[in-house]
Amino acid sequence: MSLPASIVASVPVFGTMFKLEEKDEFEAINAWPAAMIMASFIWFTAAVLLGISMPLVQMLGLDTSLFYTAITAHGAAMAFPYVFQLMMGVGLHRSGGCLGKPVTGIIPALAFWFMNIGGILFTIAILMGLKISYAVMYPLPIVGVQTGQWSMTSVVIGFSGIALILLTVILLFPLQVIKMLFFDKERAELVLNRRTLGDPGMLGMAMSAFVLLIMGSPLLVVASAVLLFLYGLVPFAWIAWAADPMVFQFVFYIFAHNLMEAMAIMVVSAVYATLPLYLADGTRELYSKKMANLALWILLITSVTSFFHHFYTMFPALPSALSYHGNIMSWGTAVGAAITIFTISMTIWKHGLRADVGVMAVLMGFVLYILDGASAIVTSTVAWSYQLHGTMWQAGHTMAVLVAMSMMWMGVLLHHYPVLTGRVVDPTKGKWFVALYTIGAIGVSYSFLAAGAAGMPRRFASWNQEGWMTYGYLILFFGLMLALSMVIFFITIAGSRAIDTTRVTAPAE
Amino acid sequence: MEFIYQSGWGAFAVMLLLQIPFLVVFLWVINHKSGKGAGPSNTSAATVSRLKTGWLTLAIALFLVINLASIRFIPAIYSARAATSGVEPIDVKVEAQSWNYDMSAQEFVAGKPVRFNVVSLDTVHGFAVYHPDGRVLFTMMLVPGAGTSSLTYTFKDPGTYKIRCLEYCGMAHHEMNDEITVTAAAS
Ligand SMILES: [Cu+2]
Repeated sequence: MSLPASIVASVPVFGTMFKLEEKDEFEAINAWPAAMIMASFIWFTAAVLLGISMPLVQMLGLDTSLFYTAITAHGAAMAFPYVFQLMMGVGLHRSGGCLGKPVTGIIPALAFWFMNIGGILFTIAILMGLKISYAVMYPLPIVGVQTGQWSMTSVVIGFSGIALILLTVILLFPLQVIKMLFFDKERAELVLNRRTLGDPGMLGMAMSAFVLLIMGSPLLVVASAVLLFLYGLVPFAWIAWAADPMVFQFVFYIFAHNLMEAMAIMVVSAVYATLPLYLADGTRELYSKKMANLALWILLITSVTSFFHHFYTMFPALPSALSYHGNIMSWGTAVGAAITIFTISMTIWKHGLRADVGVMAVLMGFVLYILDGASAIVTSTVAWSYQLHGTMWQAGHTMAVLVAMSMMWMGVLLHHYPVLTGRVVDPTKGKWFVALYTIGAIGVSYSFLAAGAAGMPRRFASWNQEGWMTYGYLILFFGLMLALSMVIFFITIAGSRAIDTTRVTAPAE
Repeated sequence: MEFIYQSGWGAFAVMLLLQIPFLVVFLWVINHKSGKGAGPSNTSAATVSRLKTGWLTLAIALFLVINLASIRFIPAIYSARAATSGVEPIDVKVEAQSWNYDMSAQEFVAGKPVRFNVVSLDTVHGFAVYHPDGRVLFTMMLVPGAGTSSLTYTFKDPGTYKIRCLEYCGMAHHEMNDEITVTAAAS
């Protein structure tokens, strides 16, 4: 048994959900992905509890520093060790099966360790007092030290953790995808459902790898420079250019916004790959591959420079021309989304749908993703941005996009689960997960958006004024529903049964 | 128009306008095509093509109408318009620092343009002005080193306007606030 397979086998509860078969002929594409998926759900469980703790802290009137601790840990865990790691695990597994290339060697191993050790280091820093939200808010980490809010040691540990996570997201994961796509030798026995670059189900994987690598590199350079100074290896004068808040803010959002878009492109690509396998008439083809690829290209091109919408309210430090550009590009992504909606609807309309749990999770995740897209383009409009920026609307959008992508990935995971573990899940229980998750996610996101419309600030530990607490109760109610749906998801997965004959590859991709 | 583009609830209404048709049609297609006996349909290629053109035209029309109508509510535009109106705005200098504001003036007269010139001295802060009814009139993001953010606003209603920081800035972020007063114009 390989190292990742034995890690999964040795972890209680979460390990049993994703344990590989004793003799697994697909271990080369299963082992590291299973370890990543398992770890991601451990982080998710912690992140959900932290999420629920925030309205509770407000309702019980507990210390505000608890709120800021929870918000920093919750946001960071959700975005990186949860959603990104889940996506990395499922994405690498399905790429392996599409290309017949193994997910083995040093790169996936480092990606797993760096992501999780990075997450742990950042958590330690937060517990030591570093409360900077997942957006870092640079130069807040340094100003916080100067004003005695937290120690320099916590900043050094926290930045070390962030650096490991960024190395995984910006360098290791894209390199692994590129290596599999263009370099490794194919192993015929690993090919489950061959897909080439021209296939919408694989094109998105390639696009997102390049987006992360190219758009993330500036942040990696700037963050490394700051880190060298924090370690005392270089004098401040050498890295003063990188420590400029304007430099840091821009490279951060060029990366952070494109990270979200890259994950979206990747998951839309996985939807394009999965949906055709569940068509009622057995067609196994999208209504139009060309339209699907066109949508991906539009998403790619418009999303790259739409990050300016994070800075609209800095006028005139951000020139108007760049604001308008960001506005138009943000709406341009909606044109890509409109084409995707048409392709998916028409595919289902023409060929009928076999509504299994996995594909229903994918489709409901897609619904959440499009609903969130509408909230995103509204707040990316320059005029509205001045009323909505910095409110709960923004927090709701961030949360909703992560929740939507997570749902789509869980659907894709359910589809691949039999190949990954050699077991099948009970589809009737799974339906409850899909229904509760969808209602919970829609409820929690409208609660956030309405709170934002009412002017309630985000990342703000004082909800008990202006009637904002009502939104807090709604967020808690729907948040608990989301948590319950996840419990059902875990029970469904834990209750999976072994496929009785030798490995059935039918539901595999 | 003023309500739609100058309040969070206006934004919320437009968002629903975009979401609800999608939600209804998409869920109907899934439900209709996955139920018992619902199978493939042999819609003609001409119908598919007409639907496609109609759908994309609608998407692009919404894109254009909503964005073009928003232009006059963009602060850079209304600030520029105020600057050329001939009425000299009252300049206010605001310095934000953890966790308070230093304002050169805090009392204004309704109907007279006020130009807020805002700068952060330490970390990232916000400068959001709330109408007495609770909605956000505008917010500004202040990144240290970015220079002065500037916006000209003409208050309409007399009352007490709350100022809040909307960018997370540390342990007492939620206590970073202030007030300004707007009095009725002497007629
Ligand atoms: Cu502040």
